[in-house]
Amino acid sequence: MSGNGLLGPAERLLDGYDASRTYDEVFDADGSVRGHYRQIVERFGELDTAELDRLEKLVAGEFRRQGITFTVYSEEAGTERIWPMDLFPRLIAAAEWDELARGLSQRVAALNCFLADFYNGDAEALADGVVPRWLAVSSQGFERNAVGIKVPHNAHCNIAGIDVVRGTDGRYQVLEDNLRNPSGISYVVENRAAMAKVCAWLFDDHAVQPTEQYGTMLRSTLESMAPDGRDSSHIVVLTPGIYNSAYFEHAFLARSMGVELVEGRDLVVDDHAVYSRTIEGLVQVDVIYRRIDDDFLDPVSFNPESALGVPGLLGALRAGNVTVCNALGNGVVDDKAVYPYVPDLIRYYLGAEPIIDNVETYTMWDPDQRADALGRLDELVAKPVGESGGYGVLIGPHASEQELNEARATIEAAPREWIVQELVQLSTLPACADNRLEPRHLDLRPFVLTGERTEVFPGGLTRVAMRQGSLIVNSSQGGGSKDTWVLAHESP
Amino acid sequence: MILARHADALLWTGRYLERAETASRSLDYAANSITGLRADEARAEGELLVKTLGLQDELEAVGPLDSRPQLVAFLLSDTDNPGSLVSSIIAVRENLRSVRDRIPIELWEEANGLYLRFPFLGHENTPSDLHEVLLMVRRACLAISGVLNEGMRRDEGHAFVLVGRMLERSIFTVGLLEASHSDPRGALDAGRMLRLTSSVQAYHRQHGNAPDFDGVVRYLLNADDLPRSVMSCLVRAEECLIGLASGAVALDRPRRRIALLRSRLEFGDLAEAMADAPGSALLEFGSELAEVASDVQAGIAPPATLAAPRSQYLRPGGPA
Repeated sequence: MSGNGLLGPAERLLDGYDASRTYDEVFDADGSVRGHYRQIVERFGELDTAELDRLEKLVAGEFRRQGITFTVYSEEAGTERIWPMDLFPRLIAAAEWDELARGLSQRVAALNCFLADFYNGDAEALADGVVPRWLAVSSQGFERNAVGIKVPHNAHCNIAGIDVVRGTDGRYQVLEDNLRNPSGISYVVENRAAMAKVCAWLFDDHAVQPTEQYGTMLRSTLESMAPDGRDSSHIVVLTPGIYNSAYFEHAFLARSMGVELVEGRDLVVDDHAVYSRTIEGLVQVDVIYRRIDDDFLDPVSFNPESALGVPGLLGALRAGNVTVCNALGNGVVDDKAVYPYVPDLIRYYLGAEPIIDNVETYTMWDPDQRADALGRLDELVAKPVGESGGYGVLIGPHASEQELNEARATIEAAPREWIVQELVQLSTLPACADNRLEPRHLDLRPFVLTGERTEVFPGGLTRVAMRQGSLIVNSSQGGGSKDTWVLAHESP
Repeated sequence: MILARHADALLWTGRYLERAETASRSLDYAANSITGLRADEARAEGELLVKTLGLQDELEAVGPLDSRPQLVAFLLSDTDNPGSLVSSIIAVRENLRSVRDRIPIELWEEANGLYLRFPFLGHENTPSDLHEVLLMVRRACLAISGVLNEGMRRDEGHAFVLVGRMLERSIFTVGLLEASHSDPRGALDAGRMLRLTSSVQAYHRQHGNAPDFDGVVRYLLNADDLPRSVMSCLVRAEECLIGLASGAVALDRPRRRIALLRSRLEFGDLAEAMADAPGSALLEFGSELAEVASDVQAGIAPPATLAAPRSQYLRPGGPA
């Protein structure tokens, strides 16, 4: 990039950097460095390519040594991969974060209101037509068994991961709500730990909000979810086991809270209460932070083939002897078909305008919207409502005519199963590629914790597409990550 | 209070850690000692080593080992052999991985680091720098032991690792002594027994003379200042089980059996039996040790059914 005021090695690292295609987090439209990035750019300007390479290897070695991995199921060999982190951090200015955090709290509050209304109330939002009843009850995430189960504080979603992006205008928009088992928080904390070890000097010029308090925050949230009348709560994290793609995260969560990481076989239900099997006998469990999908939680009530769950858990839940976090049935609002209605849910329950907008979305079950969207599908993005991880997504401008035609036919055949969105040219940030810094698209998954009260964890998981021009940021599809700094004070 | 599954994983961590360290030391010694031997001599040496490691059944599955490379591959990198070095290292890592939330980070990193330092994992080839590899393993095992001793809370988890190590170690030492008595060639002389148990220096410091066979046998069985002696192992395992059995009553049975075995050493019962038939006396003693290890595992097992007595419910205000 020319004209950014950098001299020396930075010119080499940023040579040819093209920030003009979309909103760039670092450089504004005329190529100037945005204020809060100035020192970081200067610091990177002091690096040469050999040093950059050395630091990248140190970070990779750090993750490798600690066995910080994730699993890609589709690969036959070497399924356990070292977590990829790019060195150039993402910075969020304090005021910008405050606004974003307010918007996230608002959104999760409305979603919790909807879930409480839907499963434990009179389903007023459905009765009033805010969300079509047929749509909600036909959702794959709707869990009939969850109806009537009391949830402390009506907090159905205790841990939410809300995916936000910035388009060409730089405004944050919500891309997806993840209210079942959002993962990634362990990588947020470990990214920071690795950066602090390898690039401590980068932090010298900034006051950055810490990340290591997540375990304390989460424990406090889960403790507040104990069934009524418990003096102290016995919390466990329920994992499918060491071969699960997110096992590292499950162990991280248990360790950072100081609680046991259990598998289904470690728990037993008797007389509508859940107990963990210890060498000294059975110990009652009050709160289960489950990292297992609804379907596998209880083979008696759900998938009978499940060997991961706890037989009888639903009975204990109904009896009010244990709390499962996140609550059963949250998938109904994870459903991308419900996503277009979230702004209306905010207005309905909270009487306020959404602080963060949705990406413009077209509902395929509406014939007019469908006809319009399919007519210009080559400009849009089509998403299956039940998928996650970027699977099944069709990006119109990148698709062949045949792929577009096939998608049109698929959508016409099952319009309930698809939404179509305007293509967001995700914002970019410099990322290390071949010993240079090149623009790469990114998103952000902040985490919102809700128990007795709601807290937004500062920052979140910044996922970055590691291939030039790619809009797919999911780690399972070759994406990487970045340390995310929420600045405590505005940079001078 | 420790989950039964975690207790099991930590018990096996201890056993496999000990197995890895023992296998690396034994293999290093054997690889040197058979260099230059005739094929039949090398095979006999290999079989003796396999016997001391208690891997006769595994050897039967693969057939006779006629050469040094075959022996090294079987003991080093054969993942079908659960007693091979690589199998032990994988098992240590997998067991620790399943309890990652309750062990010190450094412990996991050391075990993971050892695993990652094996570039030939899954390959049959003998590394050209075998001695260096084995030395690295022993050092890594010592580092893991160091973290266990200095970095891990003295809770039930720590006790289970220690019980596993001590039982495995005592089983190996008794197996070694038994093999030395039953080997018709007398190849396992006093010096070799000391080297295979890393006890040369300790023995010489205490006895100051050339080792004699019976003296070394007594030393490896009874020395209370030698960490590898059977007596030391049993005392430490018993101490751990006393603490564990105060909460987990099912562990009282192996505790009592270990106490009995220790007293047989302490009061000369084993020595008396060995005066008549040393091989069979040691064989019987080793079998009892193996049974104790099984008892510990059985004592860990969580209640299989809901028929557990209600008095086991520990939570105040739980079901009456």
